[in-house]
Amino acid sequence: MKKVTIIGAGNVGSSVALYLAEHKIADVYLVDIVEGLPEGKALDAEEAAPIRRYDIELRGCTDFSCMVDSDIVVITAGIARRPGMSRDDLLNTNAKIIKSVSEKAAQYAPNSIIIMVTNPLDVMAYLTLKTTGFALKRIVGMAGILDSIRFRYFVSNKLGISVIDTTAMVLGGHGDSMVPLPRYSTVAGIPITELMSKDDIDKIIERTRKGGAEIVGYLKTGSAYYAPAAAVAKMVECIVRDKRRILPCSAYLRGEYGIEGLFVGVPVMLGKNGVEKIIELELIPEEREALHTSASAVKTVIEKLENLGII
Amino acid sequence: MKKVSIIGAGNVGANAAFYIGEKNFADVMLIDVVEGRAKGKALDLMEAAPVRYYDAKIDGSDNIEDIAGSEVVVITAGHVRKPQMSRLDLLETNAKVIDTIIPQIKQYAPGAILINITEPVDALTCYIWKKGKFDPKKVIGMTGVLDTTRFREFISKELQVSTANTTAVVIGGHHDYMVIIPRYASVEGIPITQLLPQEKIDNLVKRTRAAGSEILSYLKTATAHYAPAAALAEIVEAIIKDSKRVLCVSACLQGEYDVKDLCLGVPAIIGAKGVEKVIELQLTIEERHQFEESVAVIKNAVDTLEI
Repeated sequence: MKKVTIIGAGNVGSSVALYLAEHKIADVYLVDIVEGLPEGKALDAEEAAPIRRYDIELRGCTDFSCMVDSDIVVITAGIARRPGMSRDDLLNTNAKIIKSVSEKAAQYAPNSIIIMVTNPLDVMAYLTLKTTGFALKRIVGMAGILDSIRFRYFVSNKLGISVIDTTAMVLGGHGDSMVPLPRYSTVAGIPITELMSKDDIDKIIERTRKGGAEIVGYLKTGSAYYAPAAAVAKMVECIVRDKRRILPCSAYLRGEYGIEGLFVGVPVMLGKNGVEKIIELELIPEEREALHTSASAVKTVIEKLENLGII
Repeated sequence: MKKVSIIGAGNVGANAAFYIGEKNFADVMLIDVVEGRAKGKALDLMEAAPVRYYDAKIDGSDNIEDIAGSEVVVITAGHVRKPQMSRLDLLETNAKVIDTIIPQIKQYAPGAILINITEPVDALTCYIWKKGKFDPKKVIGMTGVLDTTRFREFISKELQVSTANTTAVVIGGHHDYMVIIPRYASVEGIPITQLLPQEKIDNLVKRTRAAGSEILSYLKTATAHYAPAAALAEIVEAIIKDSKRVLCVSACLQGEYDVKDLCLGVPAIIGAKGVEKVIELQLTIEERHQFEESVAVIKNAVDTLEI
């Protein structure tokens, strides 16, 4: 069994653990600095195992050394924004957390592949790359898969068809900088542009863009975690089982799409080595421009962190 | 648990029962005229259940009355091809087998949705529909799901990507004239026309067309049965779970694609009511031409049958 360590035992982290267990993908170690939290959640999930029929190992610990020799490290650590906290304060605090977690990953799991979930993930992935010095293909961010699965759900809902037959391609970052590509989004291979009106597609794009906020609007004190965790679990599965699936993820670009030295959400092939390949799609000028706008937003935040001396 | 009957406990029928059992979504009644064959295979499958964790009931019988109460009836009766035979060579022989089954279905499972996989599928699906005067929405031929799963497997092999979320659309007849549309074949939504050179695509299309014969040439005395049974189980599951899957099947057309009173491959929404909607694609002139050739072949075959 491969070993996956999840840093951060919050809702996203522990839901990832549960999905991985349900599909018996790997042994899972949940790590958190809050005493008792990872141990309690792991034990609870272990006690469900006899009924759910998984026999993987599930451990929780507060000591980073238990991540030793992990094949994959999923980073979901970070704090949520608190009242009175500015976005910059939040960025500053979380960047410091990610930097310290990345150092631990480099120390205990030097051969691992890192999946970055903490937002702003394109920036945090860059910070991890700089901190660990890992090979470029071994750091990948969870970005477009989440937007794609939300998009697919909305399409299937609108057309009254099974989600299984839908595909979607969403590039760039989450939310405002998301770059949806409807002509690469299909039902059983048939582009949705042939099956839905432009108006309906636009509505679905808008809803996807605000997909995270819609859930927060309902939950009020928390944000979405099932769909984000499902997206992460899919990435882990592709790597552990060397699936070579093509999924939109944040990967370090070296000239692809005309972008240099940044993590940006693009279609990548995920396999046992991490990012096996970056797929360059034929984009129309507007799509290309939207992707570049997304990239410059990432660059601005990186510069901010550089000025603070964190990167 | 809903009930699915499979008429014909040969390799395809028994494997369909196996796949349905593994996914545990319906009880299965296997029927075969050869005494003991259906019962033996069903018992064998049930004895695997404790280790495979299914509690769907799989039973066998040589009495077709036991299809009573089925939501779905799969027809995989009749003869299969031998090397060098074309699917159409089986038309007359298998139509006679179908003749004996239709009245029994009308008597014992009049409301069931019928899925035919007896070759030649398109022509005999049409025969079942017309001869039995069934509701066209409730008669489905298993064709395109198999052709697309084969094409998808070949695409994933060629590109070395996962088969998950490869898509393909194959329409027309389930024979040498099948219409494979590469621009609708995709990997995670990206058309394969962007990922593979035309020459490679042509080879994959050619291989898909001859895929049944490729397996037959290996097995010699049997035809393919895993992929066909998997394709059957996929359609059965969509009906039982009312999941509105978009699948390529042989549907009985009544004006869609400008075809009337003929069953042939098209993408359709499959749910509890059977073929709930035929999806009409915008075909190019070349695709339309291929499609019409396919229509002509099936029409000729159907015209030779007395309905």
